[in-house]
Amino acid sequence: MSAPDFYFAVNAIFRHIHDCYGRESLIAYWRGLGEEYYRRRVERWKAGGPQALAADWREYFAAEPQAEVEVAVADGGVELDVKVCPAIKHLRDQGREIVPYFCEHCDHVGGAMAEAAGYRFQRQGGSGSCRQQFLPSPPIKESD
Amino acid sequence: MLGCQDFCGYYDWTFHFVRRSWGQEAVRRLWAEAIGGESQRHYAQSAAEAGLRGLYQQWTKTGVEESCDWTFTLDEAKNVLRFDMRECPSKGFLLAHDLNADEDYCDHCMGWTVPLLAGVGVEVIGHEHNHCGQCWGTMRSKDRPTEPLEVEGDIRRDPRWQRGFLHRWENDQPQLLLPSVSPSYDACDVLAAWFATAERLVILGRDSAASEAAGRAVLTTGRVYADRSQCPVEPSAVLLDNDEAELVGVAARFLATPPARRPLLLHHFLPRPPLMDFVSAGLPRPVPILPLLIRHGLYRHQPGGPKPDVTELLMLLAAALNKSL
Repeated sequence: MSAPDFYFAVNAIFRHIHDCYGRESLIAYWRGLGEEYYRRRVERWKAGGPQALAADWREYFAAEPQAEVEVAVADGGVELDVKVCPAIKHLRDQGREIVPYFCEHCDHVGGAMAEAAGYRFQRQGGSGSCRQQFLPSPPIKESD
Repeated sequence: MLGCQDFCGYYDWTFHFVRRSWGQEAVRRLWAEAIGGESQRHYAQSAAEAGLRGLYQQWTKTGVEESCDWTFTLDEAKNVLRFDMRECPSKGFLLAHDLNADEDYCDHCMGWTVPLLAGVGVEVIGHEHNHCGQCWGTMRSKDRPTEPLEVEGDIRRDPRWQRGFLHRWENDQPQLLLPSVSPSYDACDVLAAWFATAERLVILGRDSAASEAAGRAVLTTGRVYADRSQCPVEPSAVLLDNDEAELVGVAARFLATPPARRPLLLHHFLPRPPLMDFVSAGLPRPVPILPLLIRHGLYRHQPGGPKPDVTELLMLLAAALNKSL
């Protein structure tokens, strides 16, 4: 059931939590989604490595209306070339006022998922197209 | 990113996050303001432009996009817009994916609809949902008289209507879940009221024998209740499982018991098949216990993971009620 009007609710919920409870609460909400709601996806990423992570995102974006995204495995991580963000496109096409921090949800939802699966998350760009990377986490240095 | 394909799943999780972070009123505010006030504003625009017909057109468009198995009926002469939902795709998503983060997912529909419609002069005349994907509702413009509308596809004549427990709304207001027990819509309040005078509880069928029941309110499972040799006393409450075989014995004993001595029937309503039909067995719809367990942080649903059995759930219920065993 990929009904794009659900993006209206996503955008509205972000605004509501931000305006009623503050930015830190919104970030806590986003991270909670990554850590709790998406736990099963994270388990698959951990078990299957970058190939599983890439396959998961290919499948995910394939079900998002109007998404144009290329997914590649590179250097032990995964890169998403988001040429057309389906959420931003639909919200713009329908004349909705997009919250200025909309793109940050990827940093925190994706970031929390990445950390739980042993990766780091980076994003360049935004507002409709961006490059997202799930990079292998640097090894933890043992203290002397 | 957060997509629209699994929106219903994280919508449910979001309700739970808001409730546990900021309380019950906060989730009602989320539904009314974020969903009714912003997300669904196109419904308000449609109603402002064309009244019930505008709403009819908007809802039927949504129904196509969301693959709803429902019938929307508009009778402008009678001033009634009615829906009969046979399989809600939104609740269906949760059932199909074993999701149950929040206390009561279905409440969000009236949670945003009633305040939105109130703002455009439309009232929800009546509504019921069974928490298993079936519901109906009628609406009217408040500025004109209305007449009753009979529809051939009334979901209440569908066998699936017998499943679950019912929440009901009339004239924009939530109705009492079990008026004989509690003046509340909330299943948590019903459970608290039922056990209010019990100082101690005992769970028959766990490690406790009937001889230990003196002076305590007895909880037990449907399987134990159906066997009078295991449960010779009349219990205070019985937790039914997803076991159609046990229903025969439960119904026989329950219906043979004078109404004043009958136990409160409970069920977990976990999102797993079979979705039970208690009504056809002659029983009242049980009261759900998961909302109370979730509210007290005693139960967190693990999709695809192991589920507690009914005895474990009874122990969690006792803890949620703050009663010693």
